[in-house]
Amino acid sequence: MRIVVPMNAILAPRPLWPTRLARRVVSPALFDFWATRLNPLWTLEQPLAKLVSRSQASRDAVTLVLRPNRHWQGIQPGQHVNVGVEIDGRRLVRSYSPTVLEDGNLAITVKAIVGGLVSSHLARDARIGDVVALDTAFGDMVLPGKSADLLLLAAGSGITPMRALLRSLAARGMPVKVDLMYWARSHDELCFVDELDAMAVAHPRLHVRYLLTRDGAEPDPHVDTAPLDAIAALADRRVLACGPGGFVQAARSRLDGQVAQFDAEAFSLPTAAATGDEGEVQVHLARSGRTVQLSRGQSLLEGLEAQGIRPRHGCRMGICNTCACGRQSGTTRQLLTGDLSSEPSSQVRLCISAPSTDLILDL
Amino acid sequence: MSRVRNRTLSSAELQAFGDELDAIRARVTADIGESDAKYIRKIVASVRWCGVAGRALLFLGAFVHSVLIPAWIAGVVLLALSKILENMELGHNVMHGQYDWMNDPKLNGHTYEWDIVATGDNWRKTHNFQHHTYTNVRGMDDDIGYGLLRIFPEQRWRPFYLMQPIIAMVFMVLFQWGVAIQELRVGRWFAGKKSTAQMRKDFRPVRRKMGRQLLKDYVVFPLLAGPFFLPVLLGNMLANTLRSIWTFIIIFCGHFTADAEVFPKESIRNESRGHWYLRQLRGSSNIAGGKLLNVLSGNLSHQIEHHFYPDLPANRYAAIAVEVKDICARYGQHYNTGSLPRQFGQVIWRIWRHALPSRPGRKLRVTEPALQGG
Repeated sequence: MRIVVPMNAILAPRPLWPTRLARRVVSPALFDFWATRLNPLWTLEQPLAKLVSRSQASRDAVTLVLRPNRHWQGIQPGQHVNVGVEIDGRRLVRSYSPTVLEDGNLAITVKAIVGGLVSSHLARDARIGDVVALDTAFGDMVLPGKSADLLLLAAGSGITPMRALLRSLAARGMPVKVDLMYWARSHDELCFVDELDAMAVAHPRLHVRYLLTRDGAEPDPHVDTAPLDAIAALADRRVLACGPGGFVQAARSRLDGQVAQFDAEAFSLPTAAATGDEGEVQVHLARSGRTVQLSRGQSLLEGLEAQGIRPRHGCRMGICNTCACGRQSGTTRQLLTGDLSSEPSSQVRLCISAPSTDLILDL
Repeated sequence: MSRVRNRTLSSAELQAFGDELDAIRARVTADIGESDAKYIRKIVASVRWCGVAGRALLFLGAFVHSVLIPAWIAGVVLLALSKILENMELGHNVMHGQYDWMNDPKLNGHTYEWDIVATGDNWRKTHNFQHHTYTNVRGMDDDIGYGLLRIFPEQRWRPFYLMQPIIAMVFMVLFQWGVAIQELRVGRWFAGKKSTAQMRKDFRPVRRKMGRQLLKDYVVFPLLAGPFFLPVLLGNMLANTLRSIWTFIIIFCGHFTADAEVFPKESIRNESRGHWYLRQLRGSSNIAGGKLLNVLSGNLSHQIEHHFYPDLPANRYAAIAVEVKDICARYGQHYNTGSLPRQFGQVIWRIWRHALPSRPGRKLRVTEPALQGG
């Protein structure tokens, strides 16, 4: 049996009595207002981190080193964390898979995506001393103490959790066989090449293979056709895959069921969200754990009510804000204006929004 | 009272009226960003700094007796200013979800808790939903006289209302307490229509909030002054009272001026968006004044714009008002605005006039068809 003890449980000590008293007497809003005037990282509860250094990781990616404040509860290699960055007055949230450095700082590698607000901001505009918000770490791509041999599949920024996993395995003397297959379009888009090569030299059980799909005369194949003969005992491997949605889907349909275990994390690039109002989508309600099929032509409130779910609501016309709830991911269409919105972790009013794509809501 | 004649709009005109107002919303929504975030953070900072300065001056007066009176007066003014800003420009507007787009957990409409004895959760229900959706609809908007005053001739007269000029004064001084118990429906409990068990359950969160507020302003801060607790206690009390009086004045000017109208329940049956805008317009009144009045009233000096767009950042209302005024003029609709003395004078007149028996004038018969289907 696999037991994963959350780091949070280990690392969260009972706060000292001045902190406990402060929490009873003052609100976080009041405390943070004054404390952050002295030091931008001093808060009562909110985990924050300060940008302390930046360096180029590849042609279009930078590595940012963040120093978290004392409310940060740690992360296991391979997990993700939501990072909140304020741009144009809005706090925008994106997931990154940081590598924990020796001094406890977090290194995230960000690839500037065309049209990506947060990634371009972090890759180009973020300055040393900027403060970002952190959430609790999450994700299933973690390694238990004793593991099967591994096959790691990464595409683009999907290398970041793999790097964290490999560093942790290297620190433990590479206890299992590991094959890493790392896809990018061209060589100058690869990150951590020197580090990965050095690790492979130091640990004979690690094999690293780069696949470049748009380089030179003979581009390498994508994940759906790439030869896997070199992987010894493929059927006994645990496979971890991380990359864009299409990559993860292709890896899953090729390998799921053929291997000992398959875990994956997909990140979606901003896609042209499907317009129109025909058809149905899947809406996952994160708090109640339910998933329902809703029509794209109907407001979320009406659709949920038709399924027997009664979210809190008021005016049913987009005025009173009672039905506003968090949308973790997916695209919604505002019914009054027709505007599409796909900003993750933002508020959506159920009564005047229809689902455009599959959604995850905080309900 | 029947001085106002609004043009009756055809359904096509009403549709166009609503569309033009919707277009303003869309345009402003698309433009929201950095400057609005800076504005509300500036308000947060003003609330904090005024509050700290006010409390510090009250302590200074308490300990240094030679400056007691000037320090005490300045302290009360600053503390009242902080509380007014927190209540109106910050709390009220944030709780409408006007700054939810910032995604800042400290400025979230669902979780913000303001510095008055009323709980944020009760307010979100009675105010954000009931009052804003059913503005000035009899039997649905509890804000019509707060179940205590007869403001409109359409409310049934009872001898109790003869005392309302005095009751209104008391209500004004204790306004934050009135808001706190509004959602409890004490009247229904007295009348036996609400069980005591339910009352106790509803009162629990309110009691907790009241206790917290009383403890802060009337126990903890005065005790910090030790033997000189009295000036601090009285200063806090006066600051809270000034805030109550000011909010009462602003809120009563918003819906109870001479030309403001009430509507029967039938008027909202199958109400279109255009109708809804029209009802908001006829039930609301603005207060003309400068920037200072705007910020101190939480921009409820633009009550009409606030009722059209309760979820847009209030710092936008002044600019929006220029366009709204123009649209109202083009559609022949009265845009109810006037100076603070004029508007509040009309409120006082209503409180006195309708303490006595009165009957609705002819006005309703003129306007109701327009509201019912044009």
